[in-house]
Amino acid sequence: MGSTAITALHSAFSDTFNVLGQDSRYDRNVVVASWPSVPVEVIRAAGFTPVLACSGAGATPAADEVLEAGVFPERIRQLMQAALTGRLNHVAAIVLPRTSDTDYKAYLYLQELRRRGRLASLPPVVLFDLLQSQGQDIAVYDSARVQDLLVRLAGLGDKQVGAADLSVQIESGNAARAAARRLAALRRNPVRVAGAGMLPLLGARWTMPPGRYAELAGDALQALAGRAARTGPRVLLAGTPVDSTVLHVAIESMDATVVDEVSPYGIDVAGGDIDTAADPCAALATWYGTHSITARTPVATLIRRFEQSLADIDAAFIVLPTDDARFGWDYPRLRDLLDARGIVHAAISGDPAADHAPIQAVLARSRGVQAVRHG
Amino acid sequence: MAEKQLESTVAAGAFQKQWFGDLRRNVFDERLPYALIQADVPFELFDLLGIPAISNQWWSAIISAKRLAPPFFDAMARDGLPDGLCRYCSLGMAATRYREAGAAPWGGLPKPSLLCARLTCDCIQPVFALWAEAFGSELFVIDNPGASDLPPRWWELTRHDWRKLVEPHRLQFSIQSLERLVAKLESISGRQLDRNALAEKLERVNRQEEIFDATRKLISAAPLTPVRMTEQIANVMATQWVRGSDWALAHARQFHDEVAARVAGGVAVCPDERIRLMWVGAGMWHDTDFYAAFEQSHGAVFVWSMYLAFGPDGYIRYGLEDPMAALASRTASFNEYLHNPPWASEWIVHQAREHRIDAALVLRPASAKPSASGRLFIETALEEAGIPVLPVESDMVDSRAWNPEAARAAVRQFLDSRVLQ
Repeated sequence: MGSTAITALHSAFSDTFNVLGQDSRYDRNVVVASWPSVPVEVIRAAGFTPVLACSGAGATPAADEVLEAGVFPERIRQLMQAALTGRLNHVAAIVLPRTSDTDYKAYLYLQELRRRGRLASLPPVVLFDLLQSQGQDIAVYDSARVQDLLVRLAGLGDKQVGAADLSVQIESGNAARAAARRLAALRRNPVRVAGAGMLPLLGARWTMPPGRYAELAGDALQALAGRAARTGPRVLLAGTPVDSTVLHVAIESMDATVVDEVSPYGIDVAGGDIDTAADPCAALATWYGTHSITARTPVATLIRRFEQSLADIDAAFIVLPTDDARFGWDYPRLRDLLDARGIVHAAISGDPAADHAPIQAVLARSRGVQAVRHG
Repeated sequence: MAEKQLESTVAAGAFQKQWFGDLRRNVFDERLPYALIQADVPFELFDLLGIPAISNQWWSAIISAKRLAPPFFDAMARDGLPDGLCRYCSLGMAATRYREAGAAPWGGLPKPSLLCARLTCDCIQPVFALWAEAFGSELFVIDNPGASDLPPRWWELTRHDWRKLVEPHRLQFSIQSLERLVAKLESISGRQLDRNALAEKLERVNRQEEIFDATRKLISAAPLTPVRMTEQIANVMATQWVRGSDWALAHARQFHDEVAARVAGGVAVCPDERIRLMWVGAGMWHDTDFYAAFEQSHGAVFVWSMYLAFGPDGYIRYGLEDPMAALASRTASFNEYLHNPPWASEWIVHQAREHRIDAALVLRPASAKPSASGRLFIETALEEAGIPVLPVESDMVDSRAWNPEAARAAVRQFLDSRVLQ
């Protein structure tokens, strides 16, 4: 039962975006979001299944014609490729959050391509204008945007949706978060699951119905809890948030384990619970505004999150792809924090699958440090 | 460097140097406050509350134009900051954070009382956070909601129908943000904002931009280009940073009159003008001679950049009963006007037609991601309008990868093969 649950969770993480375009009846119930700063509770309350665009290995020739090189991340290229090749024609809507420049520009590009006749069959494209700086005016603005998103999505279906529907989703979502937190605990003291296996188990939380997720996560927990503890360096991933396991696989092929990543697909999928006592739109706005790991998360919040991860870490990799415009600015601060704790680290800017050398070098140094520490 | 053909250009340069020297003296000697701000923050509020403001982009352009930028970029690289990060918005920060790496112009920036930035691009917040940390100064950020409704031909709505340009919830939020800024500035200056004075200030900004509009029409209608693009920029931007002031209005008038006299006298930048060029993007401040490099060989003159044209189209607001709303409506959509589809491409094609443009050079800065995006739509729209496009791979302020000779050769080949054909 445990292996079935693990397989189902992995599939929910890896396949949901890739299968779009194969079955129009399924697609009609899907709302695609470009990043998990779009509240999945709103999508579900409106009667749709959330699917997240994600990085992939496939080529993106159609997208490359309209997206400038070196600017847009892989997940946006995959989303644009799917839109331009008709794979998203039957989904109910595409939602792009304001939580990065590239997501916002992808929204404008899709609208412009539709206006110019290149995407005549594209479903409604919605901007979710979540702001992440702090202040009372931001909280009010964001709450209204959640309400607006709910109205827009509900208007696409035939479902009457109210605050009570959102509250139901929040409560079941909190149960799923609790299940994700229990799973994530298997990554520390002792480390029982490789990061490449764990990231999909956590990331599936976004797209799977919360009740089903909690059930499968519980089964997976039972299956994994008895595993032997993993040895070798414990690794943190920071910088540009990862949304795939490519780097995990490369690192873990060298007998290390990724135990944390500053990414909404890692433990940040769970975060704290959403306030069930508050107005549901306001509660969702607060949670997504403060917990979402994005290019517009306030610097202090990101650094705080990073610092929380540094206990029991042997090595860190700062992911800085060439399309990054945001996270590289934090590098000096992250480096100084790591140096102060004696944690070895490196920046990764190329394809980790193609170039293992920087990873090998850091892991070798971390083993040296471990040996000194533990005699 | 190409010679300055207009007296007003010399006067503009002298004013800026004097203004900066006065500001340094006031800050160091009198301990008066000043602010470092992004170019799209409303300067009017700072001015009315007695806090002079320096534009980050202006300071960056000055460092680059004086060829002082490379040591600061090298210092950024030594500190581990990736080369692909935005240079234009970070050069000023680098000149502060790595001040020992090189010499900043005119003695460098004194410590500001406040840094203020709108969160347009993703890099703004971390860059200004580093800058504020380097100075030990406070940072005030203004968040930047995204536009979801972009009506066509925006430049026809800005003056009288500006409420139609910004969705009501976004306009309301922008007003609230500016009110928060006012409260912060009032706490620094110890003064209260006079709302009537704000309306009067915006009226004066309107007068200034109307003069620029008249100047733009003179330039676009003249048989031959009467003033170099670089001199247009120098006069316009020196004025825009202190817009609505007595000097700004007087200088805008002086610039206009000098251009009018040149048009009336048949004076041209290049009497042998055969090709009218437009420059799309921010200025390439490290090599401004580039813009005059094709006059003799091809009779090719840069007629247009966004700097003169954007003043009248982007800034004028009539109906100032609620001046803060008018100001917020201008502030809310700067990036959309200049970089994003559909607005940027639509406006640039319109401007190209107005100015009888034969060919366009479009800046492709690898590091400035916001400026680098949207340009494919602009290039396509220009080509579809029958205007050949040459992309120019360069940074605005970082000259380290720039090969001036190769770039000039590429332009000459483009003019020969696609424009003079």
